[in-house]
Amino acid sequence: MSPRSLPTVGPTAGSVPEQPQELRLDAVPLQQTVELVRIDLPIEQVEPLLERGLLPGCRMCPVRRSPGGDPIVTVDGNLLALRREMAGCLCVRLADGDFVQDGDPTPGPR
Amino acid sequence: MEGAQRPLVALVGPPNSGKSTLFNRLTGLRQKVANYPGVTVERKVGRARLRDGREIDVVDLPGVNGFSARTLDERITRDVLEGRAEGIRPPDAVVLIVDVTRFEQQLMLCEPVLELGVPTLLVLNMSDELDRRGGRIDEELLADQLGVEVVRAAVRTGRGMGAVDRFLAGAVDRGAFPERPCPAVRNVPHGVQLPMVDVFAQRRQRVRALARDARFAPAGPSPLQERLDSVLLHRVWGPLVFLVVVLVVFQAMFTWATPLMDGVEWLIATSGEWVRGALPPSWFRSLLVDGVWAGVGSVLVFLPQILVLFLFLGVMEDSGYMARAAVIADRLMYRVGLQGRAFLPLLSAYACAVPAILSARTVEDERDRLTTIFVTPFMTCSARLPVYALLIAAFVPERPVVGPLMGTRAATLLGLYGLGVGAAVGTAFLIRRTILRGHAAPFLMELPSYRIPSLASLGLRLLDRSKVFLRRAGRVILGVAVVLWLLTQVPRSGGSPPPIERSALGVAGHVVEPVIRPLGFDWKIGIGLVSSLAAREVIVGTLGTINGVQDADEGSLELQAALRRDLDLGGAVALLVFFAFALQCMSTVAVMRRETNGWRWPALQFSYMLALAYLGAYLANRLI
Ligand SMILES: Nc1nc2c(ncn2[C@@H]2O[C@H](COP(=O)(O)OP(=O)(O)OP(=O)(O)O)[C@@H](O)[C@H]2O)c(=O)[nH]1
Ligand SMILES: [Mg+2]
Repeated sequence: MSPRSLPTVGPTAGSVPEQPQELRLDAVPLQQTVELVRIDLPIEQVEPLLERGLLPGCRMCPVRRSPGGDPIVTVDGNLLALRREMAGCLCVRLADGDFVQDGDPTPGPR
Repeated sequence: MEGAQRPLVALVGPPNSGKSTLFNRLTGLRQKVANYPGVTVERKVGRARLRDGREIDVVDLPGVNGFSARTLDERITRDVLEGRAEGIRPPDAVVLIVDVTRFEQQLMLCEPVLELGVPTLLVLNMSDELDRRGGRIDEELLADQLGVEVVRAAVRTGRGMGAVDRFLAGAVDRGAFPERPCPAVRNVPHGVQLPMVDVFAQRRQRVRALARDARFAPAGPSPLQERLDSVLLHRVWGPLVFLVVVLVVFQAMFTWATPLMDGVEWLIATSGEWVRGALPPSWFRSLLVDGVWAGVGSVLVFLPQILVLFLFLGVMEDSGYMARAAVIADRLMYRVGLQGRAFLPLLSAYACAVPAILSARTVEDERDRLTTIFVTPFMTCSARLPVYALLIAAFVPERPVVGPLMGTRAATLLGLYGLGVGAAVGTAFLIRRTILRGHAAPFLMELPSYRIPSLASLGLRLLDRSKVFLRRAGRVILGVAVVLWLLTQVPRSGGSPPPIERSALGVAGHVVEPVIRPLGFDWKIGIGLVSSLAAREVIVGTLGTINGVQDADEGSLELQAALRRDLDLGGAVALLVFFAFALQCMSTVAVMRRETNGWRWPALQFSYMLALAYLGAYLANRLI
């Protein structure tokens, strides 16, 4: 399955080419807070993500990996486990002001 | 309120936010509560008595993250809210209860619920946890912003219940609305043309603004949770703990439950004898003791085993570990076409497939849920155990296999468990490539905070499980026992029952004999198979009756000897394989029909499993 070939869902659906500083959630190192930019999944699969707060613009932080290598992320105080296949469909960028950790609304463990 | 209906208030909220806890507190009823998202799978109505003595109806609903109505749970909740559910009036008031430590995500439900236009109370639950972890929120500011009543509560400890009571009193004052047009509750409100993502994004902005204005400060990280997760989800320790937990569960089921089972068995046998001694010999005594008592007793024996399994499952759920176990299991299950949420139903299926199929509702995706339901009956439920135990004791001599650790008998039993798992895996694999083909649904699992399981909640759950189980014993098994007994009594000749071979049951055995000959079974086993179609464990009693063995159970040496005369080794293995695969359980078929809305799935399931059982038994008989 190639996630990249799937239709894009986001506020800027399909109109903006991938920015150089954008990366996929599965490539984000642990404890690095990022901001969700786009969800590259077919529309009917996106709704459960949206309902759980995985929305473009939300801040998330992978806090650990499951034994199977899947990411576990915090999203607004919610601890969520996803599969890495899906993480590969989440397009994110480094959160602004990430270097000043104290402005970070997402509680992430050290 | 003469003649008028009692008003109804609905408890709505995301999964695991404390709805059932509040429901239990209000109604004194015993809804299952657990620290696992999606525990409540059915609506449940109860009556709450207010502090001023008046009464109101309360309905507890399955938790929802939104109103897309993708899953059965969500449809139940939506239908009740919209007043479209059968047998229940549209709610006159709504209590929206959220986990305040997850404020921003959980408040996303607020707008769609308020759109209903019904008086609403927002309960910010788990405020004890928010306080403990240094979070903060001003509920009065929030109430001003939202224009509805808001209360900060900790339902488990009782904080905030006064405000809930006042709100309910208000609902009673207003009385039950006459029938009103059904409003709709949707993720995307009616008439809104925006793409769904934008609807959510804008709603999120408003929630964020609300949080800011209500001076919301999120709870800090929980050190306990991090410490536990770093072990329980560790690369090495995680799977190891998982394995140990599963092993302990099985160990408990087989060894710790044994003395209890022996106790129950003794009770049934003694009381049966007592009844036999107290009544004069008659057909009625025979029906009561040999039919009803023996039949129901053969099932009651499993109660301790089932309770032990559910006790462990309860501790796992309530502590928050079950959600982690589901995450650990997900990788493996994903490979065979299932998903992590299927772990809980499949584990429960080792006790009984019926509650397992119900709990498959927590599996979010419809295809995943159907797959889970479809493979659940392959798990070795406790009703198969007496059959296994009897045949193993009769045909497998005890010899050490792995030193003193495991003998041939335990190894055979383990092999039968493995056979079930193998069939489940193969079946899941197969149907995901045929009738349930499609993209894998996204897997998302919220990991709840760790909590200490409450004894009350565990106790209630066991009580609930026993009730379900006893009801099954009371209806299905009782019915089967009586029918079987009748079939052994006709046609009567000269006022006494016929010899078993010429009874109606014996004739049935002879009728099926040609079909089961290739499996190595004779007419006696045929009778056993026919009688076990409704419930597997019945075969033990039936074989006892046929062979004229009094009080037959799986430990009866007399019965074992009789079986060795009727079956050769190939036939015995074939019978074991047959029981490992066949769906001989009326309750499972019935619950399946309910959960899949029709006969299609249960019919398919029954034929598939029967075909597999026949084929497997045939091969086993030929090869051995
Ligand atoms: N700390 C804390 N825990 C609570 C409180 N109220 C409920 N809980 C716990 O939260 C968990 C979930 O409670 P439930 O009542 O089963 O939640 P629910 O909303 O019915 O969940 P579903 O049926 O899955 O939708 C349980 O472990 C409760 O013991 C509270 O006020 N404080
Ligand atoms: Mg509940």
